[in-house]
Amino acid sequence: MSENNTKASRESCPILEIKGLQKSFNDLAVLRDISLSVEPGNVVSIIGPSGSGKSTLLRCAAFLETAEKGDILYDGKYALRDGVYAEKAELNRFRTLFGMVFQNFNLFPHYSVMKNICEPPILRGEIKAEVEERALGLLKKMGLEGRENAYPYQLSGGQQQRVAIARALALNPEILFFDEPTSALDPELTGEVLKVIRQLADDHMTMVVVTHEMAFARAISNRVIFMDGGYIIEEGDPEEVFGNPKKERTKRFLSNYNQ
Amino acid sequence: MSLLTMILKMGEGLGKTCAIFFLTLLFSLPLGMVVALLRMSKNKVISAITRFFINILRGTPLMLQLLAVTYGPYYLFGISVSRNKLIPVVIAFAINYAAYFAEIYRGGIESIPTGQYEAAEVLGYSRFQTFMRIILPQVVKRIMPSITNEVVTLVKDTSLAFTVSYQEMFTIGKQIANSQTSFLPFVVAGVFYYIFNLIVDRVMGRVEKRLNYYK
Repeated sequence: MSENNTKASRESCPILEIKGLQKSFNDLAVLRDISLSVEPGNVVSIIGPSGSGKSTLLRCAAFLETAEKGDILYDGKYALRDGVYAEKAELNRFRTLFGMVFQNFNLFPHYSVMKNICEPPILRGEIKAEVEERALGLLKKMGLEGRENAYPYQLSGGQQQRVAIARALALNPEILFFDEPTSALDPELTGEVLKVIRQLADDHMTMVVVTHEMAFARAISNRVIFMDGGYIIEEGDPEEVFGNPKKERTKRFLSNYNQ
Repeated sequence: MSLLTMILKMGEGLGKTCAIFFLTLLFSLPLGMVVALLRMSKNKVISAITRFFINILRGTPLMLQLLAVTYGPYYLFGISVSRNKLIPVVIAFAINYAAYFAEIYRGGIESIPTGQYEAAEVLGYSRFQTFMRIILPQVVKRIMPSITNEVVTLVKDTSLAFTVSYQEMFTIGKQIANSQTSFLPFVVAGVFYYIFNLIVDRVMGRVEKRLNYYK
C-alpha cells in the first residue's frame, strides 16, 4: 500500500533529507553541521577516516542515535525538526521506510536463516506464505539457495552478511543503509558481499553506504561524500571526488588508498 | 530401628522436600526476572532499592531468613505461627532464590550485544517483542549452567527447613538420629540428596542439550 504513495512522492522529493544535523557524545562533537539528501534510485557513499562521524550519521538517520539539532526528513516529512523528534508512532512509521545492514551482521543466532528473514514482515502483519516465497527469492538473489534452514553460526561471515541484506530487503524498504558492511570480513568474503550490493545498485535500489572500500564506492555510487571531524569536507560525483579532489584533506586521505 | 524402617520413615518426608523444591522454583524463577528488571531499571531509586534488598537476601543466611519469615510475624505482630509451615518456608526460599536468580538473569541480559537490540529495533520489533523473542531465548541458553548450579544447591538447601521443624526428609532424619543416637540417618539423607541431584543433573543436561541447536 505504501508503494503507490512512494511512487507519487518519488517524483517530487528526496527519500532522505538531512539538514544541519548536530550530534555529540558528552563533550565530543561528532556531527557538527551535516546536510545531505538522497534521491530515489541513487547510491550515496560516505567515506572518511575512522572517527569522522560517518557511522554516527547513518545511525542518526536510522534513529539509533539521538541527534541534538537539525532536521531529518523522509519522503518530505519531518522525523526530526529543529532537534525535536516526531512522536513514537510516527517514528515507527518512518522506520518502515529504511533498512539497515550492520558491520557485525547482527543476525539473530537462535533463528534459522529463514526465520531471521521472515519474522519481521510476519510480525508486521504480512501473510506467512507470501513472506516465505519472497524470502526464498531473496536468498536466491543473494546466492544462498538451499541455506534457508541453516543457523547463522553455520555460515561464513560473507554468507551471514548476505542473509542480513536479505533480511533488510524482505521488508521492502525504500532506502537501505549499509554501515561498513564488509569491515568484519576478509578480502575474499568482502568480494561476495560487494557483488550483491553492486547488484542492488544495478536494480536502482536507493542506498547509503558507509565504507572503506574506495574502489567499490567509486564504482557504484552516484555521489560520494567525504567526511572528517564531523563535517562534510567534500561531496560530488565519484569521478570528481576520487579523480580530482578539490580539498587538501580529501587529497591527503585518498593518497593513502591510491598507492 | 532397622535401616529399612529408617529409609521408609525418611522417605515419607521426601514429598515435603519435593514440595519445597518445586514450589520454590515455581515462584522464584519468574520472581527473579521481575527483580532483575527492577534492578536494571533506569529509575535510579528503584534500581538502588532493589539492589539493597538483593544484597540483604544474599548477604544473610537463608537459615536466618527462614526463621524470620516463619516466626517474625508472631514476634512483630502477635500473629500466631501458621500450622502449615510449608507456606513460610516456601516464601523464604522463593524470595532468597529469586535474589540469586535475579543476578544471574541480569548477567545474562547484559551479556547480549547491543547489536541485537539495534537490529530488532530497525526491523520493527516492539520492545516487548525484542525482549521475548530475541533477548530472552539467548539469555536462557547462556545462563543455563548457572541456573543448574542454583538448582543443585536448592536440593541441598531444602534441609534447612529443619530449623523451623518442617517435617521434610532431613528433619525426620535428624529426629531419628537423636532418638536412636545413630549417625546412619545422616548417611541415608546424604544418599537421598545425591540421588535427587543425579536426577536434576540429568534433566538440566537434557535441557542444555536441547538449547544446543545454535551457538
